[in-house]
Amino acid sequence: MPSSERFVALTLAWAVAGAALAQETPPARAPAHKTSLDQAPARKTSLDSAPAQKRSLESAPAHKTSLDSAPAHWLERMNQALTTRNYDGTFSHWHGGHVEMLRIIHRVQDGTVSERLASLDGSGREFIRAGASLTCYLPDKRTVLVEQRPPEESLVGFPAVNDQSASFYDIREGTRTRLNRRDTHVITVSPKDEYRYGYRLWIDDSTAMPLKTQLCDTRGHVIEQIVFASLTLPAHIPDSAFRPEVSTAGFQWLRNESAPPAPTAATLAWNAMRLPPGFRMTARSAQTLPGSADPVDHLVFTDGLASVSVFVEPQRREHADQPAVPESAAVGSSSAFSTVIDGHKITAVGEVPPDTVRFIASQLKAEELPAVSSRRH
Amino acid sequence: MNEELDSQLSAMFDDELAPEQCELLARRLSRDEQLKARWGRYAVIGAAIRSERGVRLNPPLAGRVSAVILDEPALATAHTARRSGVRWWQPLAGAAVAVGVALVSVLWLRAQAPLAGAPLSAHLTAPLATATVPGAAVVPAAAAGAPDSYVVPRAPAVRAPVVPSTELANYVVAHSVFSSPVGRRNLLSAFMTSESGSAAEEPPDEPAVHAQ
Amino acid sequence: MSADASDLSLVRRVQRGDKGAFDALVLKYQHKLVKLVMRYVRNPAEAEDIAQEAFIKAYRALPQFRGDSAFYTWLYRIAINTAKNAVVSRDRSPIEYDLDRNNEESYDMQGRLKDSETPEGLVLTDEIRSTVNAAIDALPEDLRTAIVLRELEGLSYEEIAAAMACPVGTVRSRIFRAREAIDHRLREVFEGGLGRAEELG
Repeated sequence: MPSSERFVALTLAWAVAGAALAQETPPARAPAHKTSLDQAPARKTSLDSAPAQKRSLESAPAHKTSLDSAPAHWLERMNQALTTRNYDGTFSHWHGGHVEMLRIIHRVQDGTVSERLASLDGSGREFIRAGASLTCYLPDKRTVLVEQRPPEESLVGFPAVNDQSASFYDIREGTRTRLNRRDTHVITVSPKDEYRYGYRLWIDDSTAMPLKTQLCDTRGHVIEQIVFASLTLPAHIPDSAFRPEVSTAGFQWLRNESAPPAPTAATLAWNAMRLPPGFRMTARSAQTLPGSADPVDHLVFTDGLASVSVFVEPQRREHADQPAVPESAAVGSSSAFSTVIDGHKITAVGEVPPDTVRFIASQLKAEELPAVSSRRH
Repeated sequence: MNEELDSQLSAMFDDELAPEQCELLARRLSRDEQLKARWGRYAVIGAAIRSERGVRLNPPLAGRVSAVILDEPALATAHTARRSGVRWWQPLAGAAVAVGVALVSVLWLRAQAPLAGAPLSAHLTAPLATATVPGAAVVPAAAAGAPDSYVVPRAPAVRAPVVPSTELANYVVAHSVFSSPVGRRNLLSAFMTSESGSAAEEPPDEPAVHAQ
Repeated sequence: MSADASDLSLVRRVQRGDKGAFDALVLKYQHKLVKLVMRYVRNPAEAEDIAQEAFIKAYRALPQFRGDSAFYTWLYRIAINTAKNAVVSRDRSPIEYDLDRNNEESYDMQGRLKDSETPEGLVLTDEIRSTVNAAIDALPEDLRTAIVLRELEGLSYEEIAAAMACPVGTVRSRIFRAREAIDHRLREVFEGGLGRAEELG
């Protein structure tokens, strides 16, 4: 349907759902217009200065980004909401000129996270998480991937935004604005270098849910955008909400071993010789991936906001039905990069620009371990 | 000329002109050098307003590209289909296949079938089943300058998705556990939609059959 | 997307053998593409060469473009690939080059080249920019607002209409009249004035 009709339709859907969200009904207002207009007054229209582009920050930041400051605090609250609340919504995902709709259902019950993410138009793919079990339905490959994570990972906490991580980002709060009749805080997270992306987040004042999220490159251009079209926060969500809609008759099921392979006398430990500023390793484990029995080292690096996984496995001949991951890949704005070092295949994946995964992957090096131990995080 | 007509060029430049009017104006635009120059100046105005650092506002680019293309053989599509269900990769009778078509990296060749006669990569041999291709124009094999006779296409088709390799899927899923909540949502959403893909992607073995 | 009708109408013409239609696409996107390529190469002349190569690649690959994505998206990817190949083939890691943020030696704050690079084209750039600036300053406020919201903020006519509380038709008219007023002055620069102007055809 024409974009204007679709916009109206989404707005209406939102208006219905908005009533369920509101703890007090917001006062009626003129028809919602796109939030970007609210941003316009904050930008200069003088033509002699360059548009509000990202400039490198030459000196120490002139603003505080400690945890007590409001912007980082809102990020924390948002992360809390996303990981601990029940919610059920549909959102549009925009990237590279395309928009698709998805449904997300998330529930935390008795310490267990259940989640279902499904594409509503197009691929038919679904991702379902039940506690420590992650299942990925790929109807276009007639394949289901099942990955068992260690039980203690049922509720993974992401490191809090802290002063150190904040020093690689410029976190600010913009003008408070209304998005589809809800009060939102607009938080901008601007990266200070090219190794990471920035974000613009419209965080709902009463629930701290991110109603609109933009991922931006270092020049402030929007690369990816997620906007909720409808969102409710139900107290109870039944188990049936987490069953897939795709029929899996005739699909191949690929699972990983629930327990990682017994640590052999692992004589090699992999590490990154250099990392982009602010990144440090926060996790290291050995696991197997669905469809394979080979052990894979999994290293995780993060700068406090962005994270990159590096997978290390012995290089081997690929099976015919599993084409090799090519050198570079993109998953929306996220990037993957694969290379071979010392007879091992190194693959880096993360929500960072392509050059960052490429850089990190190419920095991997094996070190001889003096004695036996395979380290687990 | 009244402003309504005159302002069409400006509206078309902004992608705000109705498709039927675009077709007509495009034809004029390609043949009228003055109109084309005006169009080009619209682009310069926009670039000047945005004041992009280091970018020349009047580079010799367009002229050079035009000169190179003048020497190239004219393109003639062999890949559009009729709504009657002709497989779109079969050339219409008499249509010439473009010579010297570059093999563009598969990153943006989504589930394509080969042009008949064009050099084939090994994995591009299987013809796609005809998921309908609404959105393709009916094209007579006409030389440039022949009278236009074409059907205004319907709404754009569902894109054939790029199929992620199983390995990439594994890595994405395993990594998603460690992303920030927002990053994870971006990553998995992109993965769930058709936007994931990679440079050496193979087209799907089976037709993409998805309800729209 | 219906918003792509403009590009698609031109693309289809090119696909049917109309080369003049491709000129229009180049004119529309050349600045954007050069700016994009400049993420990978700092030198504007080199960026222009790469952009030129990208356009030519796009022309040759156009038979394979089916309108599955927006034309500019498709073109954008070709340009990135071309730029990356160009950088890599120079044996230079893109990361080191792009992140060398303190290396502003080639540029002053306005982004003008300080050394002996192609002064001619750049003089014209300054002339053009100041002409456009002056023309915009001279516009009535409603025309100025409309063109700035369009070109600087990238808003659609509908969004501008909402922002300016006027009908979409009025937005279209204001933008058109703003462009005409600016173009009136710009034509003088292109058809006379300093230096030789490069025109198509």
